[in-house]
Amino acid sequence: MKPSNRLTRRQFLRRGALGSGWVAVAGAALTASRGRGRAAAADANPFAYDLGNAAHTDPKLIHYETAAAFASGVGDARRLAFGPGDRLHVAGKTAITILDLRGAKLQEIPLAAPARCVAVGPDGMIYAGLRDHVEVFDASGRKLASWESPGKKVWLSGLAVGEKGIFAADAGNRVVLRYDPAGKVTARIGERNKQRNVPGLIVPSPYLDVALGPDGLLRVNNPGRHCIDIYTPDGDLELSWGKPTAAIEGFCGCCNPIAIEVLPDGRHLTCEKGLPRVKVYSATGQFDCVVAGPESFPENAKTGSISDKSDGVLGGLDAAVDSQGRICTLDLVTGRVAVMKAKAKV
Amino acid sequence: MNPPIPQFPRSRRQFLRDGARAAALTGLGGLFALTAERAGGRPRVWQIDPQKCVRCGNCATHCVLEQSAVKCVHAHAICGYCQLCTGYFEPEPNELNTAAENCLCPTAAIKRTYVEDPYYEYSIDEGLCIGCAKCVEGCNRFGNGSLFLQVRHDRCLNCNECAISKACPVDAFQRIPADHPYLLKTMAHGA
Repeated sequence: MKPSNRLTRRQFLRRGALGSGWVAVAGAALTASRGRGRAAAADANPFAYDLGNAAHTDPKLIHYETAAAFASGVGDARRLAFGPGDRLHVAGKTAITILDLRGAKLQEIPLAAPARCVAVGPDGMIYAGLRDHVEVFDASGRKLASWESPGKKVWLSGLAVGEKGIFAADAGNRVVLRYDPAGKVTARIGERNKQRNVPGLIVPSPYLDVALGPDGLLRVNNPGRHCIDIYTPDGDLELSWGKPTAAIEGFCGCCNPIAIEVLPDGRHLTCEKGLPRVKVYSATGQFDCVVAGPESFPENAKTGSISDKSDGVLGGLDAAVDSQGRICTLDLVTGRVAVMKAKAKV
Repeated sequence: MNPPIPQFPRSRRQFLRDGARAAALTGLGGLFALTAERAGGRPRVWQIDPQKCVRCGNCATHCVLEQSAVKCVHAHAICGYCQLCTGYFEPEPNELNTAAENCLCPTAAIKRTYVEDPYYEYSIDEGLCIGCAKCVEGCNRFGNGSLFLQVRHDRCLNCNECAISKACPVDAFQRIPADHPYLLKTMAHGA
């Protein structure tokens, strides 16, 4: 009898399954190698933008350590400010949220529009900077006033309160507005003025901040010139310090610093974007130490991490100082707050 | 006389054949509808979504053209006109001048023009630009993100299978209608 070359049904199915298996394995291997090839192509970028040593902080320069860290729980958190009792006020998309330093919510003041900045007076009065005007609340959260918008293109991004008035940084018009307690604008500070030898504020993106020192002088960041300007409440420029460099002692990128605070002892606290850094400078502008470097803000340090933010918010950081000199940092990308305290001196 | 044999309307073979035909026609119709829908009845071209682009450098090295059809473009409306432009200067320039060692672009494709103190205007010489995205990275990291990459359609061959799109690690390459061939940025860090 002639041997048959035909396959039985069982053989056919077995071989078919085996063949399909090999095809699937080959396909998977091919896909994986393609993925690896893509990853390798992305890694080996001959045109990589190299920040060099600036991306890393010398640990010896970091004089602060994290005492606590928590998610602010505030949507689109923009600015921090301390009020009486070291209560932390966070300006956010729908409210001013008041937290303790463990992150517990103490109070919430709802707003009709996103708050871009906040400041608290020694009497507990809360000033919220919305895009084009200021709203005033008492300590219980009761709305007392909504001040008239000072004009066109207003983009409030920083607030400070002192004996001489309420100071609002208007990034849109590159000016700091001085208000009286009734909400009337009484002075315009920082505008270019040759007679008063004021070179003017350069604000390429909506980051203009203002802080009051214990000496009663105003500190205003001038990001396009990479410096801090110090003004009297009447608008006379007293001092300007800072230099552009990616090195730790200066301000990096095209437009930094983006936020300014004054420590109880008169030293300055600055925040930068791009290379997210929080640093301390002396009262006259000499570099002192680092509070937190780019390593502390890994998400923030990624280029493009802020691409889903709206209306010109480009990421970055903010910081505030409490009465004991503890520093709170706010990561605008992740919404996380870190409470930093000075390391014990050895 | 034998009883009449019942007449079935179709044999099994006929049924299977007709079924296969119907399935093939349905599939063909679906394929046609899908193609028509994707094409939208309009020709399509390749373009880069600037929101997805991660500035990997592949646009400069994977285009089939000798010089890539991908170029840096500049949305002047969202530019800060910075004196120290991080898309123009190295991260740590010696001085803020046009000396080659201070400039970021490997082909000197960005032109810097003084406007007024301290503002400068930056424009792209597309004949020199190779689409490496080094300047885009610098601008996006520190600035407003006004520099970004686009496929320039006066150069692109519109290959069916774009070599850059295959190499793109984040699928930023898309087919978009040819009558709206660019994905331009209109606000800082937004498309």
